[in-house]
Amino acid sequence: MSSEPILRVKDLTIDLLTAHTVVRPVDGVVYELSRRETLAIVGESGSGKTVTCFAPLGLMPVGVQADISGSILFDSRQLVGSDNETLRSLRGKSIGFIFQDPMSALNPARRVGRQIAEVAELHLGMTARAAETRALELIKMVGMSDPEIRLKQYPHELSGGLRQRVMIAIAIAAEPTLLVADEPTTALDVTVQAQILRLLKEIQSRMNMAMILITHDMGVVAGAADRVMVMYAGRHAIPRKQDAIGSRFRGLPGVPPILGAPITGCAFMPRCGYAVDACGERRPPFLPTAVPGVSAACPVLNIRAKECA
Amino acid sequence: MFAFIAKRARNAVLLLFLASVLCFALVVSAPGNVAILIAELRTPTATKADIAKVEEELGLNKPLLERYGFWLNGAIHGDFGISYKTGEAVGASLKSRLAVTATLVAGGAVVAFLLSLFVGFVGALWAHRAPDVVTRGSALLGASTPSFFVGALLVYAFSVTWHVFPTFGFAGPVSWVLPWLTLGFLPAAVLSRVVRVGFEEAMAKPYVLTAMSKGLSRTSILVRDAIPNIAPTYLNALGTQIGTMVVGAVVVEPLFAWQGIGDLFLTGVRFRDFMVVQACLLVFITFFIILNVVVDICITLTDPRLRLQRS
Repeated sequence: MSSEPILRVKDLTIDLLTAHTVVRPVDGVVYELSRRETLAIVGESGSGKTVTCFAPLGLMPVGVQADISGSILFDSRQLVGSDNETLRSLRGKSIGFIFQDPMSALNPARRVGRQIAEVAELHLGMTARAAETRALELIKMVGMSDPEIRLKQYPHELSGGLRQRVMIAIAIAAEPTLLVADEPTTALDVTVQAQILRLLKEIQSRMNMAMILITHDMGVVAGAADRVMVMYAGRHAIPRKQDAIGSRFRGLPGVPPILGAPITGCAFMPRCGYAVDACGERRPPFLPTAVPGVSAACPVLNIRAKECA
Repeated sequence: MFAFIAKRARNAVLLLFLASVLCFALVVSAPGNVAILIAELRTPTATKADIAKVEEELGLNKPLLERYGFWLNGAIHGDFGISYKTGEAVGASLKSRLAVTATLVAGGAVVAFLLSLFVGFVGALWAHRAPDVVTRGSALLGASTPSFFVGALLVYAFSVTWHVFPTFGFAGPVSWVLPWLTLGFLPAAVLSRVVRVGFEEAMAKPYVLTAMSKGLSRTSILVRDAIPNIAPTYLNALGTQIGTMVVGAVVVEPLFAWQGIGDLFLTGVRFRDFMVVQACLLVFITFFIILNVVVDICITLTDPRLRLQRS
């Protein structure tokens, strides 16, 4: 992998303020990402995966305000605290986004060719005609048949897989250095999922992009990710090489906690069968466990490690 | 697409025919004998023979079906018979008055179109801030103010106080401004809400998040992404409002002493001038039918999903 990380995230904490509630979906997240590398962010629904990537770039649903602290260095530029215009100039140009549901993410009233071309117009300073040629190129690049016809079609005339290809074409139109894909295969047929994932990897290596793959599908992680970050209740386990997680990943019973109230101790405590008093006292730090080379923020395993030593 | 338009046109013609039957039936079944009315207008001491003569002249003694055929054939060629009251050809006065009403409604429609888009856009651009609150308030006020009152206020302000526009009359563009504003104000208020609500809904859609992820500004998202999506709804509402503006013309024309169709219709009803009433009704209905077809075609053209479905 290339040496200098393109993305350095440190102590990223995000509070979301709506009219009635405050939640902390992201709590002290740390990771780095280099070019051509793929980081998979996995976790259950509501564990803060999407917000981690979208909120710092100003992508929020209407009526939600994000209070962001910590540090995000992208291409040695500080994103936390940047004004909206700076973030907007990065979106689409340096960072491309792919969304979960291609059925609703494309504008139903506009031809897909225009939706792709406008990104080239905006960020590459192309004329309408040049942008159209660029859109045609992109449509070919994402592997759609009859590219000339596709350009003129509307989203409702395309299948889910094709629409996600259009979405990918939009995301890479300005050749960004980072691609954020939010569950890009979740809404698709199983057979199409593999194709889209392969396409993403192929385009990533061709364009030398870094990619963040948000998912809850461990199969996707195994196939595509170099590194994995598991998130739970806004916190994460230290990102590591993907082979170390692989088959040893196990689920827990129950549901994730509500993030409205601050969690003082271990976020897993209410669902964990092995929990001890120490789990609820303070947020457990990462400490060694009995298994050499594996650390965990878990008092139970940490105490065992001490006893063994 | 062409087949769709042809089909709509055919249906419109069919509907027009039915409407003509209805017009005729309504007027024929209205109480009172027109022949007596006219005979008495000519000679206050009209006899049965005088009445019969009038009936003979107007063809009122013929069977209904024949009378209908005669009237319809004339109407198609622009001949709507003779006014019972004035003795003039209805077709001729209809033509001059149609121009007046068309000027009024067309101008009012342009006012409503421009004003509603501007106000709706201002509201959407500064959503939930001062300009939005102000425009929303005035839209509510505008939608609940009757046009004769708006007209009176406008006349008071622009004619009486500032002497910018004439108080009444139909003499060139300067005299058209106040009637246009009067007629267009209420539809503009209603339509501006359609625009504003449409923008609000459109801006909460997932494709707006996609547009934001492309780095587009809020203004270009409103123009490029939201407008194509609210166009069908807006055009539908605009069509309805233009329809109500024809009805509104009946109120606004007398206010500015314009000799339009609304005015003609009102006097016709007042004097039981059935030939005039019949002709006006037919013109109104024809206008509504054509308006509907045009709106339908426009909506189909702006909505790609409907276009696919209908072609």
